[in-house]
Amino acid sequence: MDPRIEEVELSGKGGPPADYEVALVSLNQWQLAWRRFKKHRLALFGAILFLGVVAIAVVGPVFLPYDPQYVPSFTSQFCDGSQTLKAYSGCPPFSAGHILGTTGSLRLDLLVLVVNGARVSLIIGVGAALVATIIGTIVGGVAGYFGGIVDNLLMRFVDVLLSIPLLFVVIWMSKVIGNGDWRVLLLVFSILGWPGEARLVRSLFLTLRTEVFVDAARAVGVSDLRIIFRHILPNAVSPIIVSTTLAVAAFIITEAFVSFLGFGVDPAVTPTWGNILTGGQDFIGQGNWWWTLFPGLAIVITVLGINFMGDGLRDALDPRSRD
Amino acid sequence: MIKYTVRRLLQAIPVMFGITLVCFMLMHLQPGNPADRFAQNARVTTAQIDAFKHRWGLDDPLWMQYLKWTGVWGDKGVVNALPGGSVDIAGLHVDLPGGDNGMLHGDLGYSITDGRLVVDVIADRFPPTVVLAGTAFLIWITLAFLAGVYAAVKRYGLFDSFLTIFNYIGYSLPTFWVGLVLITLFTAEPFRWFPASGMWDARSVPVFGSAEYWAFVGADPLYALTDLARHLALPVATLVMVSIAGDSRFIRSSMLDSLNQDYVKTARAKGVSERRVVFRHALRNAMLPVITNLGLEIPIIFAGAVATETVFSWPGMGRQFVEAVNHADYPVLMGVLLISSVIVVLANLLADIMYAVVDPRVKYD
Repeated sequence: MDPRIEEVELSGKGGPPADYEVALVSLNQWQLAWRRFKKHRLALFGAILFLGVVAIAVVGPVFLPYDPQYVPSFTSQFCDGSQTLKAYSGCPPFSAGHILGTTGSLRLDLLVLVVNGARVSLIIGVGAALVATIIGTIVGGVAGYFGGIVDNLLMRFVDVLLSIPLLFVVIWMSKVIGNGDWRVLLLVFSILGWPGEARLVRSLFLTLRTEVFVDAARAVGVSDLRIIFRHILPNAVSPIIVSTTLAVAAFIITEAFVSFLGFGVDPAVTPTWGNILTGGQDFIGQGNWWWTLFPGLAIVITVLGINFMGDGLRDALDPRSRD
Repeated sequence: MIKYTVRRLLQAIPVMFGITLVCFMLMHLQPGNPADRFAQNARVTTAQIDAFKHRWGLDDPLWMQYLKWTGVWGDKGVVNALPGGSVDIAGLHVDLPGGDNGMLHGDLGYSITDGRLVVDVIADRFPPTVVLAGTAFLIWITLAFLAGVYAAVKRYGLFDSFLTIFNYIGYSLPTFWVGLVLITLFTAEPFRWFPASGMWDARSVPVFGSAEYWAFVGADPLYALTDLARHLALPVATLVMVSIAGDSRFIRSSMLDSLNQDYVKTARAKGVSERRVVFRHALRNAMLPVITNLGLEIPIIFAGAVATETVFSWPGMGRQFVEAVNHADYPVLMGVLLISSVIVVLANLLADIMYAVVDPRVKYD
């Protein structure tokens, strides 16, 4: 049976009970995609993981006893009455009310840090991916639609940007114009992250602009801008959504690394999963494994969820895949 | 073939030119200039500052600074554009590389931190990166091939499912964090198996790359090799773990595509043995997209190297870059950025040419 057709049972109130009455309801593209997405168990799992992390990031800090900058005052230099574990190198999980333990040196509560850190890590990941996609779509769309000299110039520029290892430039720019403010980091990621998207969108536009419906639109005098946004873009939107989703994951990891190095968000102002990890390495030798483990796990769980989701979207949004 | 190679090389020139331009613009994004450090010093006169600016060309217009940096513009104008020794060629005087002649003369300036030539600094830091990334690359590409091909042949089997899950996880791991976890696991009790940082044991082995080092290797090759291997183990494991995912997935899907082709069905129908079908008919065609992909992976290898080198204090280019950012050592920054970009361009070029070599369907002209 055609999956676009849904069976709906009509319970006739007034008339005689029909043995079996069927109405045909047609579904649009998005409803179809949602159906396929729902059937993709891994994707659904990923979406739940990701939305769970988002929910924790939004409401989590409300339920926690203190804000991330609060330095708990320890009455003893030892953890939880134990006479061997020095609080200086961090208290292990489940000691003295710290479920995930504390960091070394400043002895901050890791649970509070990780939950609060989720906010900026997610905002930077999602925000940078969105802005990069918008810039990439405009540049790639213009290049792919107009072709010729415009395409040539824009794509050579994209070639140049893609040749310079992105991570190097991100680190450097974060150091040069960054001041520890997460908004500046978001800006840096957005300006540098679009070339890949531009190349993708251009290739989509190159094939779509030769389609008959574009010729038809042009024949009746539709403006270039309208053709790009109303006729071509909707047909290119599925791959763009998928690549944006995967870009969120990539940006979260990049932010974590840049902040870990100390060039990103200032840990004294805003915790992120990356800058929580700064300093943790020095305490591994003193047996503090939880400091490094938990913030990293938060990254892995989130990124894993996003990647599952991206794969599900890829299958769900592909109009050729019919179940 | 040669024509194709030359044409691709010529196409790379505008890209390289663009790279120098972008690097130059990035450098000038920094606020202030090197002369600003005298601003607070009452004993430095304005005339001295002007002299300093003049010496280093800071009073030149920006476009001239760019031309001087690239080496197109020298003391005697554009004549210096010709790279080479200090000789007169057909009446044109050409300077030797050294100091501030510009990069067309193989000159990237001096490091601000220790005053050495940037070219020398990079020459020191390049081999360790090649050792680390090269070893890791060989291991992960071999494993990815074995895993990808096996998973494709035994599609939906136990191993295939395992690989899929493994790949999802590997794809989601931040490189630097994997390094930290490995350090946690294998450098502290109870498994104190590997050193947590560095490339050699500083107590018993001389500095890598020095003359003493090679003398030491000559005297006791076994010890030197074990020492290097012990230091390589964790960083290489880190790179392999995070990089194997993408490649094995790519190889698997490429192999699946290939196994679905008509020529594979034909071969099977003719009664060719399964082993021969897989290795002769399918694998050879599955290699094509994989080879192109390898060239495009070079920037990712660099990115991975920055993370691993920083975490494991590996004395390579990536860590050099991070140190240079820390010390605002702009000449070194520009140098590392330029060289790695050029390597990326060359790698893409190589991938294109390789593709043309291995795929007889690609026309050269």
